[in-house]
Amino acid sequence: MAALTLTDVFKSYGATPVVRGLSLDVREGELVSLLGPSGCGKTTTLRMLAGLEHPDSGVIRIGGETVAGPGVRMPPERRGLGMVFQSYAVWPHRSVEQNVAYPLTLRRLPKAEVASRVKEALRWVRLEALATRRPHELSGGQLQRVALARALVAGPRVLLLDEPLSNLDAALREELRAEIATLRARLGTTMVFVTHDQGEALALSDRIAVMNRGVIEQVDAPERLYREPATPFVAGFVGGANVLPGRVRDGAFHTAQGDASFPLPPGTLGPDGPCTLVVRPEDLELGGEGTLLPLSARLFLGHAAEYRFPVGGTLLRVVGPPREVRAGEVLPVRIWKAKLFPAG
Amino acid sequence: MRAAWARWLGLGAWLAPLLFFAIVPVAVLLLRGTGAHGEAGLSWLASETGALGNTLGISAGAAVLALVLGTPLSLLLFRTDLPLRGAFTVLFTLPSAIPAFIWGMGWLSLASPRAGYLNRLLGEGAFDIYGPAGIAFVEGLSGLPLVLLAGAAALRRVDPALEEAARVCGASPVRALLTTTLPLALPSLLSGTVMVFLMAASSFGVPYLLGISASPPTRVLTTRIYELVLLGGDVGLARAAALATALLLLTPLALVATWALGSSGRVRLSAGKGMASRPFPLGRARGPALAVVGVVCGVLVLLPLGAILLTSLQRSFGAELAWRELTLAHWSGVLLEPRTLRATGRSLLLAAGAGGLVCLLGLAAAVLQRGFRRLGAGVEALAVWPYAVPGTVVALALLLAFSRDLRFILLERVAFVLALAHTPWLLLIAYAAKYLALGARNSAEALAQIDPSLAEAARVSGAGPVRAFVDAPLPLLRPALTVAFVLAFLACATEITMSVLLVPAGSEVLGTLLFELQSYADPAAAAVLACAFVALVVVGQAVLALVGRRGVEAR
Repeated sequence: MAALTLTDVFKSYGATPVVRGLSLDVREGELVSLLGPSGCGKTTTLRMLAGLEHPDSGVIRIGGETVAGPGVRMPPERRGLGMVFQSYAVWPHRSVEQNVAYPLTLRRLPKAEVASRVKEALRWVRLEALATRRPHELSGGQLQRVALARALVAGPRVLLLDEPLSNLDAALREELRAEIATLRARLGTTMVFVTHDQGEALALSDRIAVMNRGVIEQVDAPERLYREPATPFVAGFVGGANVLPGRVRDGAFHTAQGDASFPLPPGTLGPDGPCTLVVRPEDLELGGEGTLLPLSARLFLGHAAEYRFPVGGTLLRVVGPPREVRAGEVLPVRIWKAKLFPAG
Repeated sequence: MRAAWARWLGLGAWLAPLLFFAIVPVAVLLLRGTGAHGEAGLSWLASETGALGNTLGISAGAAVLALVLGTPLSLLLFRTDLPLRGAFTVLFTLPSAIPAFIWGMGWLSLASPRAGYLNRLLGEGAFDIYGPAGIAFVEGLSGLPLVLLAGAAALRRVDPALEEAARVCGASPVRALLTTTLPLALPSLLSGTVMVFLMAASSFGVPYLLGISASPPTRVLTTRIYELVLLGGDVGLARAAALATALLLLTPLALVATWALGSSGRVRLSAGKGMASRPFPLGRARGPALAVVGVVCGVLVLLPLGAILLTSLQRSFGAELAWRELTLAHWSGVLLEPRTLRATGRSLLLAAGAGGLVCLLGLAAAVLQRGFRRLGAGVEALAVWPYAVPGTVVALALLLAFSRDLRFILLERVAFVLALAHTPWLLLIAYAAKYLALGARNSAEALAQIDPSLAEAARVSGAGPVRAFVDAPLPLLRPALTVAFVLAFLACATEITMSVLLVPAGSEVLGTLLFELQSYADPAAAAVLACAFVALVVVGQAVLALVGRRGVEAR
């Protein structure tokens, strides 16, 4: 059964469309990420799920119940959700346990039950020792764990996470990411996770919905998304691929600007005509009888190096073994694996 | 669409009383004043050029004095390592916390031509506080904090690296200060000066005290309006309305000037984080600087207050200065008199009521401002403008609008009469309208610091919109609302200008009692009451300091 369904949802702010006809099913117990660059509508989508925004049209169902749609506008407090905000949103005037107890107090549970459930929720996030502390005494990672406990304590139908790791430093981010995965395994809560970090999405999700300009470009399991991107945007955003517009003629790809052409490896041949070339940096190599291009920069990555060539109105990135070359040198570049998308 | 609907309903509920009790009365006054009612309107001004000229001249004098004193003082207090600069800052900001009328009383005790203490020490006729120069002097001093605070804010924002760059280029420390920091802070200092001008132009108590009994009498717009209202009749009120209109027109001019100065200054100040600028070391000049600032502070702030205290303890003003002439009789007489107690009770009640209204309507303004985004600026402007309108004008507008009973008929059957004339309700309205800005500004600034996600988190946790507001942002707004309440309470409890025009016969408040004792009865009794005012202000400021410190700790 679907825990959550969005059907053809539209939302605009004034004249600016933010979400344009979005449909998505999230199954019971599943973790689905909404992944995309800033301004793609992912946070707005999450806020519409929470009831903090109302769609202009379309239907949202949670657990089979319509919460937003024609004539239906269920306020957030009646949707039975939990939400974790990027800014933590831990109330500074309440102690840790008072923060976590809040959703239970609103449900008028007996005091003893509130106390025991708060204790349990704090144990989930390993904060039992800090129960009586005030938020200003906690670190960012601890605050976000308080927010997590508060969102989970009442047993929400769905947990919504709005870039919960973005305000944390790298090490903490890793730690909290693992914690979310553990909690999910233990509680089996359905989760919708908004992020702009493809690493986070790939590591955590059952499925990822890649969003661009208010629409979902592809929904798939992480590996499939990475291996078989459905659109150039997904390839570029998730796999970090080079995306070059141009056309195919005589077994070679010519950039739209006409400043370079690359012979295509066997198996990638498409019909002649306008198209978009998608090629991962590691699927290019320097040397051989490649196309000669001027190097603009070389970035040392440790295990490898990234070489950048200004081509087709963008920077073509090539990752390969570190070599002693200088910016300005002209080097041969060869594609050995690529994918073509018809222009559109 | 229910939420949108509720938003507009809220706006209506907030706007209706403001419209009815402030905007429409002032608009009607403006119409009357400009002659739209078929009256002679502004042509009355021809016969009042003296008052208009005095207002402009005195205000300009006060503004110049505040700028000349305030510029070096703000540099010394906020940019150098002057000893005791914290204490001096507190003392130098007292003049705007205590009503100007009381400073006028202090200077009257010191420098009235014959009986003033200074004249008795230095020989009769050394000083004369009566007349335009004396009024400008007292107004300038009580406006000094406006320039100082503007200077403090600007100096805090000037990037210390700019001054250091001047040093590296070869400028001496003093030269670097005068050629980089000072010019950058000047626009702010000047906008503070414009505020002093405006404050002096709308001041009533000081020109009344030091102008009406001068020979020849010095009349300004506010005191003329008062005289004309006392004169009464259609002619008197029409002329008063014309003068009030002229006075009101000064406000937008001054606000435009402030805005222009402010925006030209903002460009050049560093907008970055508050930098802890290193205080400028005074070196060997530290001692002399301390002495100069100490003497200036003593003469300008402590001396007038001391003079009032002395007057309150003297058997009679003008008596010989000797220990045996001192008595507590006035204190027990004034403080225990039923008239004083009644006025105190009334004032405290009115001030508490007005303070409550200011907080409530101010908070509503802040919430609406946030809810309406673009329209929000309009809401803020509506909440803040009465603060800039001279008290005399606000009072006159209410007096004219509610001089007759207003009869409302609902559903053809139910009629009710709004009879506000000659009731304390009119005072409550005047206080709440005038000081609404304190509530609106304080809550808007506090609300802007609070992330909307705090309330959203409460909503998702299961709280309805009202419950979420009460549980999440409201407790965090409490310090700001406390500050707004105390400020409004102090302002209302010590208010004189609007009170003397609006107070109904037989129900005096503290401000009118002080005014009457000083103008008609005996200066000693007035001095006792003035001391009580000062004590009230000091207590209030201490509460504010405490709230401020606790607010910082909570963060």
